Amino acid sequence: MAVEMNMPILVVDDYKTMVRIIRNLLKQIGFENVDEASDGGEAFEMMKKRKYGLVISDWNMEPVTGYELLQNVRADDTVKSTPFIMITAESKTENVIAAKKAGVNNYIVKPFNAGTLKAKMAAVLGDF
Amino acid sequence: MPAAEIAARVRESLKSVKTADLKDAQLIEVLRLAQQLTDTMQMFFGAIDQSIHDEFNAIAAYIARTREEIAQLRPNDIRQERIPVAGAELEAVVGETARATDVIMSEAEAVMALQADDAGAYKAQVDAAMTRIIEACAFQDLAGQRVSKVVTSLRHIEQRVARFAATMGVQDADASADERAETERRRSLHLHGPALGGPETGQGDVDALMALDQSAIDALFD
Repeated sequence: MAVEMNMPILVVDDYKTMVRIIRNLLKQIGFENVDEASDGGEAFEMMKKRKYGLVISDWNMEPVTGYELLQNVRADDTVKSTPFIMITAESKTENVIAAKKAGVNNYIVKPFNAGTLKAKMAAVLGDF
Repeated sequence: MPAAEIAARVRESLKSVKTADLKDAQLIEVLRLAQQLTDTMQMFFGAIDQSIHDEFNAIAAYIARTREEIAQLRPNDIRQERIPVAGAELEAVVGETARATDVIMSEAEAVMALQADDAGAYKAQVDAAMTRIIEACAFQDLAGQRVSKVVTSLRHIEQRVARFAATMGVQDADASADERAETERRRSLHLHGPALGGPETGQGDVDALMALDQSAIDALFD
């Protein structure tokens, strides 16, 4: 199935600069319909109001972390099938395993580049 | 009343009783024993006086040394000067890097949005944007100097605290309940922050883990 390039994507990060970087990289890849949230709590509320084609989230945020957002998403029937990519500086093996166990679709370690982001998105969504 | 003075008064009383020309042998024996008891008590209480005196002297010396060590620690300098200045320097670093990043990203975004119809004008605009990006990179020099100041302050504090702990034989107390709760929260949420020296698990290893079958991941938790 072809990827809908206009699908809404939710970027969750408490650092505005990182949101801006990801937004620019997404634009380069061809996705411009991007919303942003600054922590897992705000993101979850937004997800209840709008259906997103992909969530790209940081891990380490306050008060609600990206890991908790992932757990909340996978536990909620209305949003549990939303593709979820973690982009984080948390690079311990235990983090990757915990995220995988919680149902993450892919995991990108910071710092990263546009090629990595595109490859992981393609792995999750299909080629575009 | 000091023990020596009490003993002297008892001795004086006994002496006056003795000089009263007593005939009763039993009473004289009792007086003799009382005399011995008084002398013994004087020695006993005298020894106690001396040991208490020595104890208080040692405590006073320890307090004086502690005060001296605390003064060497210079806690007011740390609390009022070193820590606030270090905090302000780090905040300045965050602000300067944020401003520089904003400039760099804005220029990059502007360049990406340029129309390249007129090659000459396009090059001039790109050159101007690149110059502004290069100028913005000056933040690294300032940030480096500020971080160096913070590192120097931390080293001063570390040396003073280490000296104090070594001299006073300080043992670490258990963490407070709040600290333990926060540590547990960070552990359960896997909050470690960036690793020093680059990612602890590279993207290639992450990809390998992600490629594992879910049952293999589940088995790790059994």
